[in-house]
Amino acid sequence: MSKENKSVPLEYSTEENELKIFGFWVFLGAEILLFATLFSVYFALVDRTGSGPIGKELFELPPVLVETFVLLTSSFLIGLGVHAMRIGRTKAMIVFYILTLVLGAVFLGVEINEFLTYIHDGATIQTSAFMSSLMTLLGTHGAHVTFGLLWGSGILLQIKKRGLNAKTANKAFIFSLYWHFLDVVWIFIFSFVYLKGVL
Amino acid sequence: MKELFPKEHVMGFIGSLVLTLAALTVVMFKGMSNGVALTILIVTAAAQALVQLVLFMHIGETEDKKSLYITIIYSVLVGLITVFGTLLAMVWGYM
Amino acid sequence: MSMKELFAPMKEPMIFGAGISILVGAIAIVVGLTYFKKWGWLYKNWLTTVDHKKIGVMYIFVALIMLFRGGIDALLMRAQTAIPENGLLNAEHYNEIFTTHGLIMIIFMAMPFIIGLMNIVIPLQIGARDVAFPRLNALSFWLFAAGAGLLNISFIIGGSPNAGWSSYFPLAGIEFSPNVGNNYYAWSLQISGLGTLMTGINFITTIVKMRAPGMTLMKMPMFTWSALITNIIITFAFPVLTVALALMTLDRQFGTKFFAMQDGGMDMLWANLFWVWGHPEVYIVILPAFGIFSEVISTFSRKNLFGYTSMVFSMIAISLLSFMVWVHHFYTMGHGVMVNGIFSITTMLIAVPTGVKIFNWLLTMRHGKITFTTPMLYALAFIPIFTIGGVTGVMLAMASADYQYHNTLFLVAHFHYVLIPGTVFGVLAGYHFWWPKIFGFRLNEKLGKSAFWCIVVGFNVAFFPLFILGLDGYARRMYTYSADTGYGPLSMVSFIGALVLAVGFALLCYNIYYSFRHSPRELTGDPWDARSLEWATQSPVPEYNFAIVPHINQLDEFWYAKKEGRDITAGQYERIHMPNNSGAPMWMAGVLFLFSFFFVFSVWSLVIVFGIATLGFMAYRSFEKDEGHHIEVAEIEATERRLRGEL
Repeated sequence: MSKENKSVPLEYSTEENELKIFGFWVFLGAEILLFATLFSVYFALVDRTGSGPIGKELFELPPVLVETFVLLTSSFLIGLGVHAMRIGRTKAMIVFYILTLVLGAVFLGVEINEFLTYIHDGATIQTSAFMSSLMTLLGTHGAHVTFGLLWGSGILLQIKKRGLNAKTANKAFIFSLYWHFLDVVWIFIFSFVYLKGVL
Repeated sequence: MKELFPKEHVMGFIGSLVLTLAALTVVMFKGMSNGVALTILIVTAAAQALVQLVLFMHIGETEDKKSLYITIIYSVLVGLITVFGTLLAMVWGYM
Repeated sequence: MSMKELFAPMKEPMIFGAGISILVGAIAIVVGLTYFKKWGWLYKNWLTTVDHKKIGVMYIFVALIMLFRGGIDALLMRAQTAIPENGLLNAEHYNEIFTTHGLIMIIFMAMPFIIGLMNIVIPLQIGARDVAFPRLNALSFWLFAAGAGLLNISFIIGGSPNAGWSSYFPLAGIEFSPNVGNNYYAWSLQISGLGTLMTGINFITTIVKMRAPGMTLMKMPMFTWSALITNIIITFAFPVLTVALALMTLDRQFGTKFFAMQDGGMDMLWANLFWVWGHPEVYIVILPAFGIFSEVISTFSRKNLFGYTSMVFSMIAISLLSFMVWVHHFYTMGHGVMVNGIFSITTMLIAVPTGVKIFNWLLTMRHGKITFTTPMLYALAFIPIFTIGGVTGVMLAMASADYQYHNTLFLVAHFHYVLIPGTVFGVLAGYHFWWPKIFGFRLNEKLGKSAFWCIVVGFNVAFFPLFILGLDGYARRMYTYSADTGYGPLSMVSFIGALVLAVGFALLCYNIYYSFRHSPRELTGDPWDARSLEWATQSPVPEYNFAIVPHINQLDEFWYAKKEGRDITAGQYERIHMPNNSGAPMWMAGVLFLFSFFFVFSVWSLVIVFGIATLGFMAYRSFEKDEGHHIEVAEIEATERRLRGEL
């Protein structure tokens, strides 16, 4: 165990913790490229709808707005969670984290429903290049959210069992970075897939 | 209770809601040209990203902030090159 | 798929022979390990290690094996084309061989060799105890090994990929390549690519956050700088490959239409994505070599590196430019003049920082006292040969002229003239240079130099004729040609060159055995009278790297301290915290190997099982309590004295 530094928040307090936070930021840089590539593919294929539907026929804004507000709120809540952790309010922090995950699950539910509607309407991932790229972009984001739900639950479980210490605080903080990042990605999907799509 | 809701975060949240509504104007006003609409979307999305990065993720809170800024700026730059380069090669400049 | 189909490739006598020899080799290793009771030793000291030096050695070990696999592919290709209308290989087999040759040499030889050297050297050069994430580092290695394993079993079970290392659609699609070969391509690259991405993140963090006190960025050794830039490129280029391969898998196995010929698909989008990753990849394998040459040239010229700052900025320029040139790989695809013009200019621009570096090396040697050691010979040979590669690159960069060269042997000659003197000479120079640091004895110079001459002469004889053949219109990837094309004589020359090259590599390996038996033990830790920090500690390097982490005041601190008679490693020992070994990375990579293997064959039930098992490993890692261990002062003292030869 390296020495704990008391002058900084718990999640930064050891050398190992600092390295992990820094490394995770670099990982997020890589994730930016992952999504940038998926966006490139989507933009290249957006007008290549073959015999399938075009975006304007497909997209419905109300569920998308629900998804957007749910995810924005969850991102706000996890920010509050980190703040509560820093002022030592572990219980409040856990409540904020649980609410975050619940909203994440709601988001996922709406998204799955959206996918099922598309498939019901006969537009699957195999229909056209446009559908393939749309569902892959959304699906990759959705898979990230799903993984986040599992990961976040695991971290909550550890905090419950082991209390808040340098290690668990570090994990909770890193998870919050991940969650905010997914929110940013969603904003780009919201703006450049849906809103641009119905213009 | 109050200490659980720091001003910075609340302002950030309100900001992100306002930006979302601002983005929605592109579909509410039918007469808008595509260029204007796209500009609004680009500006609001970039502002949203900044809200998250600065107010929620606290990118500038440690001594490493310079390295972190470089990491994110570099990746965004390469990401933009990938997106626009692909569009240039595969859509706009394709014969 | 029936068993008969599964092992269909074995019907080919040559593949059958190779399959049998792999089987015999594997049995020999298992029997040997059991007979000498070495399983426990192997598992405890190597397979579960998180020590960056051992991981580096394992990387290089696998890279050398892959060098031979890829080398045999190359020899077979040159043998097949040595005479017109040769019947050694049929068209199908030839397609498989040039595909796996490219893949193996780039992904499973050049990359791991470089990553292996970075693993060994970087923490030592910056005065760190290990990399930032030792466990992740082990996982990176094992994912690479799993990917290499997956690609290598493809030619026995199910069939090799055969659509070229760039696997362009529509050829690589399910319609024209219905066998599982290209699924293997996608998955072996996917899992090894994930490992590489982790390496990138790991080394950026290590170099940015773990340097010895006083070592500012501009006081870092040049190899460390090149590694930093390389890892930045890795981190931002590999996600593109991840996506491209995922889309390939979706298209081939789930019927999506990304690269399809109908329903709006765009086949050339694959080429676009592949090269968005592929061009930076070229710089990933070349920049570390530049770093190695900088170290070697400055050490053996007994001078500090000329133009340090310009070296750094030229690498930064290369790293950004490397992301802006990819379209030059498919000028002839049919986009307009504007696009080709833009990418022509960016491509030629990249020659400028590269030229700066060439002049810096030349000026470093000017007025220097050059010693002609084996690593220095590789560095010296690199400069003129690489320049030929670079200049032909500028020829290819001109879009309109490229219509003449495209897809001919001229291109093949060009990229071998870049990659062999650049990457291969670079890693071989590094391999000879740092060998004593790891093993505590030097490789024999006489054998090293003989190998060097075989490699340099063999290389030029093998590849220079390809320029001429290419200009004559010899298209690449043709499995044979008729006698009236007139390609015969030069092709034969090229084959002879390949044989000489092979002798060189054989000598290189014999040198390991010979030097192990006969080389004297090296006790100073600094056999070359070198400059950077890795030479300040003992050879072989103890587990903890530095008993005392030195304080750095300037570039080449160790060199100046030597001249002034200061000892920068003196001080009071303290107990050192080190990470624990773990078998989890290896087992997790094993599970991912099985996951990918069954994915290749679309056995969904087992894919789900091993997918969940992978998540299980991640959960295990998250919940695991792992505090590492301490090395006590008494143990450090004993180790230091033993390595100095005092005990």
